[in-house]
Amino acid sequence: MPVERRKGRVGAPAAEILVALTLLSSSAGAQDAALPFPDEHILDAHDDTLRIRSVTTRVTAFDQYGHGYQSQAGPVRGPGSERATILEPQAEVVATQGDRLVHRLWIPVDVVTAASPNSIASPDVVSGASRHVEGGTIDWTATYKVDAVTDFSMRNGLHLEEPFRSWHSGLMATRSLADDNTVVSADVIELFDWFDRFDIHGGRHGHTTRTGTSGTVSVTQILTPTTVVNVNYGVTVLSGTMGNTWNSVPVAGASRGAERLPDERVRHALVARASQFLPWNGALRGYYRFYTDDWGIVAHSMEAQIMQRLSSVLYVGGLYRFHTQTGTTFFTTRASPTALLRVADSDLAPLDSHTIGGKVVADFPLMRQGQSWQIESLHFEVGYERYFRTNDLQMNIVTWEAGFHF
Amino acid sequence: MRLPAFGLAACLALAATACAAVSQNRRAYLADPMMNLNDEPLDAYRRQKLYDTREGAAGGDGAAAGGGCGCQ
Repeated sequence: MPVERRKGRVGAPAAEILVALTLLSSSAGAQDAALPFPDEHILDAHDDTLRIRSVTTRVTAFDQYGHGYQSQAGPVRGPGSERATILEPQAEVVATQGDRLVHRLWIPVDVVTAASPNSIASPDVVSGASRHVEGGTIDWTATYKVDAVTDFSMRNGLHLEEPFRSWHSGLMATRSLADDNTVVSADVIELFDWFDRFDIHGGRHGHTTRTGTSGTVSVTQILTPTTVVNVNYGVTVLSGTMGNTWNSVPVAGASRGAERLPDERVRHALVARASQFLPWNGALRGYYRFYTDDWGIVAHSMEAQIMQRLSSVLYVGGLYRFHTQTGTTFFTTRASPTALLRVADSDLAPLDSHTIGGKVVADFPLMRQGQSWQIESLHFEVGYERYFRTNDLQMNIVTWEAGFHF
Repeated sequence: MRLPAFGLAACLALAATACAAVSQNRRAYLADPMMNLNDEPLDAYRRQKLYDTREGAAGGDGAAAGGGCGCQ
């Protein structure tokens, strides 16, 4: 558009001279009114209209196999099936309101069919929930640009599924330093869960609650024109009913009993990330996380991703992740009837896990010289991952994403 | 305890490197989407949820660890 406007002006020099003479002869107070191109036309009028900047959708399918001692879909004293299929569509809309406010509306949905709760005779005597659960979240984040280097965000969300309600609310502040070479951020999120309480036979016993408070501080630093790193520390304090209430534990001298968990958990995690551009138009990304909590779990997670750009619109990537953890101090596959704390959940056992995967990503720009289409670019991504654990759990994951940037 | 010592060392290392600023016009490589420290937001969510609900060691990634529909 600016190119066309400039051409039009070249073709009408007389009008341009007339405008100049008018400007010179007019008083200072009348100058703005006489301008053929007022400030609003050149700089854009101050506009608080909501403008959609991007719409992105992603669908992920999980196909899980394996066994765990918390599941009753198997022998009474042995591990039961953890077979599950999960379809997880997500949608994200990012919009600006004026030049200081950015809204992000994000809606993830889960459709879960799981063998473990299905094996219970009547998992929910009221609604039949947990046999086939659809759950969804609405999450809204508003980011206000206080000045050129400071952002302030508010986040609120609601999660709904048949036996479960959850609300979360958070605040985040971000500050850029040293010409954006360093970015420091801090956030706090409060979470409240309200859900049905079951026994391991499927009987429902009213409701129970859980709260969580999380705080994170983060520093991102550009080291060189090809290297950027980040360090992140997070702490979470959970209190209330920690389990899902229907997981079971094999008990010596009896068949199965309920989990007995502490009513509080304090978790610490320290994360380091680095991204390095490679001379052959590729990138190497590294990730390490150290985790510890007061249930006795100590974990290390490491991940490497390597990317290779094949053209200006297309790149491919591969990843490998390794995770190792100790189990909780009260994990058992055969509990004493008198144990004060007991859990047989395979997720809380000592384990190693591996993830191997790859993806193809394409970004097609739709800008043309001299004109801009309403859609600025199209984004496509497809990926596959295989997740497997040393304590009998495997998962195939297929994911694809499509997005429009306006 | 190892955690604070490791954190302090990491912060000192970052602070030491902050002296050499990289100007805006030398950040073309850093602007490539391949160089993002984090995955795309929707991809990051589905991966984080997978690990949070299959491993008992969530947290530290700027999201609530535990609660929600992930339990524990």
